[in-house]
Amino acid sequence: MTDMIEVRGLEKSFGDHHVLRGVDFAAESGTVTVLLGPSGSGKTTILRSMNVLETPDAGVVRIGDASVDFTAKPDRRAIAALRSRSGMVFQAHNLFPHKTVLGNLVEGPVQVQKRPVDEAAADARTLLAQVGLAGREGSYPSQLSGGQQQRVGIARALALRPEVLLLDEPTSALDPELVGEVLAVIRDLAAENWTLVIVTHEVRFARDVADQVLFLDEGVVVERGGAEVLTDPREERTKRFLSRVLDAG
Amino acid sequence: MQVSPRPTVLLAVLGVLGAVLATGGPATAGEDAAPQVVRVGTEGVYPPFTYRDPDTNELTGFDVEVMRAIGKEAGWDLRFVEAPFDSLFPALDSRRIDVIANQVTINPERTARYLFSTPYTYSHGVIVTAKDTDDITSLADLKGRTTAQTASSNWAQVAKDAGAKVQYVQDFGPGVQLVEQGRVDAIVNDNIAVLDYLATSGNDRVKIAGDAGDEVLEQALAFRQSDPQLQQEADAAIKTLTDDGTLATISEKYFGADVTVPGGATDVDIGASDSRTTWEVVKDTAWPMFVGLVKGNIPLTICSFVIGMVLAVAAALARLSSIRVLDRIARAYISIIRGTPLVVQLFIVFFGLPAIGIDLDPYPAAIVALSLNVGGYAAEVVRASILSVPRGQYEAATVIGMDYWQSMRRIVLPQAARIAVPPLGNTLLSLIKDTALASLVLVPELFREAQVTAAATTEYLPLYTMAALYFWVVCYLVSLAQGPLERRLSRYAT
Repeated sequence: MTDMIEVRGLEKSFGDHHVLRGVDFAAESGTVTVLLGPSGSGKTTILRSMNVLETPDAGVVRIGDASVDFTAKPDRRAIAALRSRSGMVFQAHNLFPHKTVLGNLVEGPVQVQKRPVDEAAADARTLLAQVGLAGREGSYPSQLSGGQQQRVGIARALALRPEVLLLDEPTSALDPELVGEVLAVIRDLAAENWTLVIVTHEVRFARDVADQVLFLDEGVVVERGGAEVLTDPREERTKRFLSRVLDAG
Repeated sequence: MQVSPRPTVLLAVLGVLGAVLATGGPATAGEDAAPQVVRVGTEGVYPPFTYRDPDTNELTGFDVEVMRAIGKEAGWDLRFVEAPFDSLFPALDSRRIDVIANQVTINPERTARYLFSTPYTYSHGVIVTAKDTDDITSLADLKGRTTAQTASSNWAQVAKDAGAKVQYVQDFGPGVQLVEQGRVDAIVNDNIAVLDYLATSGNDRVKIAGDAGDEVLEQALAFRQSDPQLQQEADAAIKTLTDDGTLATISEKYFGADVTVPGGATDVDIGASDSRTTWEVVKDTAWPMFVGLVKGNIPLTICSFVIGMVLAVAAALARLSSIRVLDRIARAYISIIRGTPLVVQLFIVFFGLPAIGIDLDPYPAAIVALSLNVGGYAAEVVRASILSVPRGQYEAATVIGMDYWQSMRRIVLPQAARIAVPPLGNTLLSLIKDTALASLVLVPELFREAQVTAAATTEYLPLYTMAALYFWVVCYLVSLAQGPLERRLSRYAT
């Protein structure tokens, strides 16, 4: 089986700060990859490189049959093709405040993918039911709780029918009592064999869903493996990080 | 946020601008067609020479009738263009008019630049003072005093030569106001014009205090030096009309004397021409002013605001662009617009640009100048509003696959609009009021109508108050609409 995602030799600097120093990983279709590491380790930059919100200095990103080599200056069409293979869930949800929940969900399918409005709206209603928000189509984001907003954010990403879903600390900005409802939705997606790449600090959640764990520090993958990385890490740095996070949690 | 507009987008914006400019293509004078179209510049606010008949609102007066007779004799198709006196010579230079019929006095400076017909009026200067001024009776007494003159009038030079300080006014009427109010000491002007004013207005608060020298002045039609053929045709017509008594008849009608020959203007007899009450004047002028508002100010406002907003968004995006040269251009544009008076911008567009081959009609010229002005002022408002939209919105639009222009149009600008509406409302109100300046570039509008009637009737306070009222009502209605619009744009925010 060929991998759904392939990342090779990813390099990125912000000025003098060398954020990614040659990151490689691959993920099979239907698997959950968790990116873990202290802040500044580069995990969010990896995610944002996969849909070119950041342009890497070097390296290759492939999702499905769309591939971009950043060593040369990539052309716009290749970037657009790569972006269309993934959906993104932001830490701060970034819903469009001037559009209703339904408007947020159909914006991409109708405006970008040129799908008929009726079809996109029907899809959107199904997705809203799936994230437990049936009947909230007409609400504006400001009328929802933080957890509901993030679930709309997930539905919006899914509405584009991507092959991969990228989730950037989807619960970090939420009040603790709202974290569970969002994690439950992500757990469902994992169970439905979506290919997910998640940046998260929710170690217990990650243990449950992760097929692959990458522990990053200072722009390199320090340790990688299955969920056992989270229970029985080999590397000292991984151990220190996990004990700190688990103590805090 | 640093976002770079794609070149195609900017080209599109430039294209819109180009289309706007193109609609104002040069007016064709129809040189080869018969009869020849001759555009006549005249003030329309200088009775009895050139003014609107208070009853019919038709352009009339001694100069206008003489011009019509000459045009008929010469076989010209006349088109009258009304403009303030100081705009007439620039309009002649920039080929917007072909001849000035406005009591233009022949002097050496003008002879050096323009062609003059045979004179059709002979007059001499008089000094006008307030009734109780008794220390000014001759030009010698003007030394060190202040007079009110129109800038390009011959009398301004006469007053200066006499050692007077000259304060410039737009028309004779406002100058009289200044004399009455004691803000200036005197006016030097044509005896015929002054006598007519005194008779028409019944104003006994000013008087003719004495003659301004012995010199007899000759008034004639002014042409461009490149149009000797028009001058020759006019001269031939004037000779015929003098010989057959037509000019004398017109002169008798207006002055009870023949001012079209030398020595005929010493004793003119001018009858009062307007006996309406203040209320009747206001009532009769209300409708022409309303027409000026509907045909002039309002369409000017709408066109200029729409185009100005396009320019403002383009300039704001250029300012936010990562392409440095676009940022520089936008900065320069905004700085120039905000750092120069609107009236100067109007004059550059209308009177200046023809020198480099860009010859716009009055209406397009006013729209171009007002649009550029609005664009420059609104650009910074739009830029600040765009910056107030969180960067995450742009990123969210990007990851659902939108390109730069889609994300601007569908995601960023609608949110920016909500922030921008209150300050842009102020820009719109300013624009509405600024359209009153359009009459300076020959666009008929509300305030121009007020000025025309005020010049003929001297009812300054009621007419200008009514003009103010019209503007205030329009601005008030616009500000009423602003509230619902803000609520509509904010309906999603809690």
